[in-house]
Amino acid sequence: MATLLRSAVLNPEGYRTVRAAGGNAPSKPPSFSSLAPRLDSLNGKTIYLVDTGFGGSGKFLDQVQAWFAERMPSVKTVRRRKTGNIFRDDTKDLWAEIKENGQAAILGVAG
Amino acid sequence: MADDRRFHGVPLRFIYTPHPVAGMPPSVLRGYIEGKDPATQRTVIEEVIEAITKPVSEDEFTGDFAPISRTGVRQTLLEPDTEDNLQRLFYERGWIDGLPIILPTEERVAEMLTGTNRAADEVVAEIFLHDTQEYLTFTVEMVAIIGVMAGARPEHLPVLLAVASTGHPSIPGSTTPFACMLLVNGPIRNEIEMNSGIGAFSPRNLANSVIGRAWTLLTINWGYMRLRKQFWTSQGNPIGYNNMCVAENEERSAWEPFHVQKKFRPEESVVSLFRGWSFVNNVVGSSHRSVGNDMLLQLSALPGLFSAATLILDPLVARHLKENEGFRTKLDFCRWISENFKMPAGQFWGTDLIHMMMAPLADQGVEPYASWKKLPPDALIAPYDKPENINIVVVGGETSPMWKVADFAYAVSAPVDKWRAKPVTDGCTDGTCGLPDEP
Repeated sequence: MATLLRSAVLNPEGYRTVRAAGGNAPSKPPSFSSLAPRLDSLNGKTIYLVDTGFGGSGKFLDQVQAWFAERMPSVKTVRRRKTGNIFRDDTKDLWAEIKENGQAAILGVAG
Repeated sequence: MADDRRFHGVPLRFIYTPHPVAGMPPSVLRGYIEGKDPATQRTVIEEVIEAITKPVSEDEFTGDFAPISRTGVRQTLLEPDTEDNLQRLFYERGWIDGLPIILPTEERVAEMLTGTNRAADEVVAEIFLHDTQEYLTFTVEMVAIIGVMAGARPEHLPVLLAVASTGHPSIPGSTTPFACMLLVNGPIRNEIEMNSGIGAFSPRNLANSVIGRAWTLLTINWGYMRLRKQFWTSQGNPIGYNNMCVAENEERSAWEPFHVQKKFRPEESVVSLFRGWSFVNNVVGSSHRSVGNDMLLQLSALPGLFSAATLILDPLVARHLKENEGFRTKLDFCRWISENFKMPAGQFWGTDLIHMMMAPLADQGVEPYASWKKLPPDALIAPYDKPENINIVVVGGETSPMWKVADFAYAVSAPVDKWRAKPVTDGCTDGTCGLPDEP
């Protein structure tokens, strides 16, 4: 018959704590009014398809673009790659361009 | 992804496709678009259109940013049980690598703690868990527990604490097969009888084996091996069992030790960590080509990401390069590699990893990448343009002039001496003497 260990065995897990609610998240939820209004229709609109640069994102958005061309040809799609490295901050140029020339943007993350 | 959105305070609508996306053919990707979102079972493209057209309600993201009320709860002692049952418990809880462990009893952990002068409850590292938004606090005692589990002895503990203090996992969360190397320099190598000589990377030496294993057990208990949370690597990498834990053969090396290159003093003990994916072995020697030219061929199989490579040379090779080919220092040889390695621009940019990580630099006009991007595919470039990012480590037993060429980048070094049981007597008791000055 197996015998119990004479000595207590310790748990190897660390202490889990949440130092601040939501980490870097703001203490208050983002303001609803700060969000861009949604479009009532996509007809005739320009949608940016933004490749984040992460694996497969560009190829996936190629297919999204092809889908819109076939199924919703009235939608103009513009493919762009995020200007910064996937893990780093961007320059603001692309976001300014989208604000100027587009009505919506879809970001592809992939992996 | 949703947790990351919350962490960064970004109110975005996310839609999921099946995974993986990278490397899948167009027909599969098209199927993802017209198929179901695995999270909602709704058609992906319909959700995409809805995300752009459906008005945002005032409370849509409120739940995402609600305060989290979890607090630290940890059962320090496990329920008494038999050896077999506890071994099974450790495995089933996902605390170990699948190999049997030494159970960390109170006595064994107390004995392990004699290997350091630090208090058991001193915090060594804080690890952030992205998927649960938690900070994991790791104390000296927890590192000692891991050391016992890995089969380490008290004299190994200062090295384990130095590794833990970096917070660097040996198996980072990624779908890629990351691999790491753990290098020890300085007097402690010999004090704890690490192997830097014959068969140093082979499973033969206790200290190399248990210290390398302990890094992975740390990584596991830091939360990096939870399936489909942090642990996504499709094939994995067997290097993760031991992490190429080794000491540099400083006594037989023709060049200065690695830690001295990093501005530590020779008499300091230091761990250095490297990260990459792959290495290529030289198998016999190099009698038909120069050593350097053989290495250039082997490097052509590696991506050249940010100019990073690590050359692990037997002392015979280092001595040959210095005495017969005139490379006075490690950096001299790295400069030769940097100047002489050439790769077609098309091969470089055609590597997905390079496209993902370095193409943005070219697009932003950073040189030389911007110029390389404009070249025809068959134009030759020198992607190891930063010789300081090429590392050389001397390891081996001089039974044959062997080497390994790895894509490993240098990550970090950490002092060992401050974690010792007894202070070293050279006046460097806090272990920071050799650290570069703050900028």
